Amino acid sequence: MSLSTDLLWEVTRNNSAFLVNRRTGGGARFSRDPLNLTNVYSRKYEGSINEKAFGVQPAAEGGVEVSVKKAGKANKPASALQTSTIGKGKSTRKTYQSIVNSTTKRHYRPDLRAEAVARASAIRQSQRPKKATPERKLRGRKAEKAAEVEA
Amino acid sequence: MLRHIYVAVWQQFKMVAAKKHVPIVKKHNARFNRHQSDRFMRVDPSWRKPKGIDNRVRRRFKGQAAMPKIGYGSNKKTRHMTPSGHKAFLVKNTNDVELLLMHNRTYAAEIGHAVSARKRVDIVARARQLGVKVTNGKAKVTTES
Repeated sequence: MSLSTDLLWEVTRNNSAFLVNRRTGGGARFSRDPLNLTNVYSRKYEGSINEKAFGVQPAAEGGVEVSVKKAGKANKPASALQTSTIGKGKSTRKTYQSIVNSTTKRHYRPDLRAEAVARASAIRQSQRPKKATPERKLRGRKAEKAAEVEA
Repeated sequence: MLRHIYVAVWQQFKMVAAKKHVPIVKKHNARFNRHQSDRFMRVDPSWRKPKGIDNRVRRRFKGQAAMPKIGYGSNKKTRHMTPSGHKAFLVKNTNDVELLLMHNRTYAAEIGHAVSARKRVDIVARARQLGVKVTNGKAKVTTES
């Protein structure tokens, strides 16, 4: 038997290893939980607390890694996660489809569908090669002269 | 003549713009200075409410300094917002930047003052991948030659 998730949340809500508290910007609260899809520290999104949860993380070689928490394994945290990788070769739309098919379509946390797709999208976006920053143009004649002397 | 050339490791690049928001209105830009702090060295400008029975500032006479009050507060929607529309989030390493993955349109990373130049380069590079704005990305990594 596992503990009530409500009790777990009440115990850990103000003091958790995943919780990141900041006073800047009006007091932001974020979560480092790998099973948290939005990084917002709340009852709904905190996957380590919920009985059912899934996380989307960047995979080591591009693409995303989806970990799904198996129900009824609360006392065996090591084997509670089922991880699968969706490689970078797959199109982003197929990636989202695959995530939705393995979770929402199986009635597994259908409330997190939009967040999961948004996260996968953000991860794939971050893996794209970034354009080189353009050289800054020199401003003013003095700067140009100075550059000529240097060269 | 000595010429200073600033070689920026970090260059300006196009960032993800902040989410659309109502215009930021600051109702009172000037500081509220303590009454008579301009007249005496020993009176610190930090605001103290005048309490005297005859005090003209307290009695809100015409031409007197304005006193702070709740009505000067910013709209809750734009409170703590920078002119760019982001809120600052203090980061000390790349793991902190990762937290803003889904929030790059509401939060901007601000690197802690004690973070070394070497780590700043990593943070700025990772922030760029994630499309996170860094408010002080040029600090410390700019070298003078």
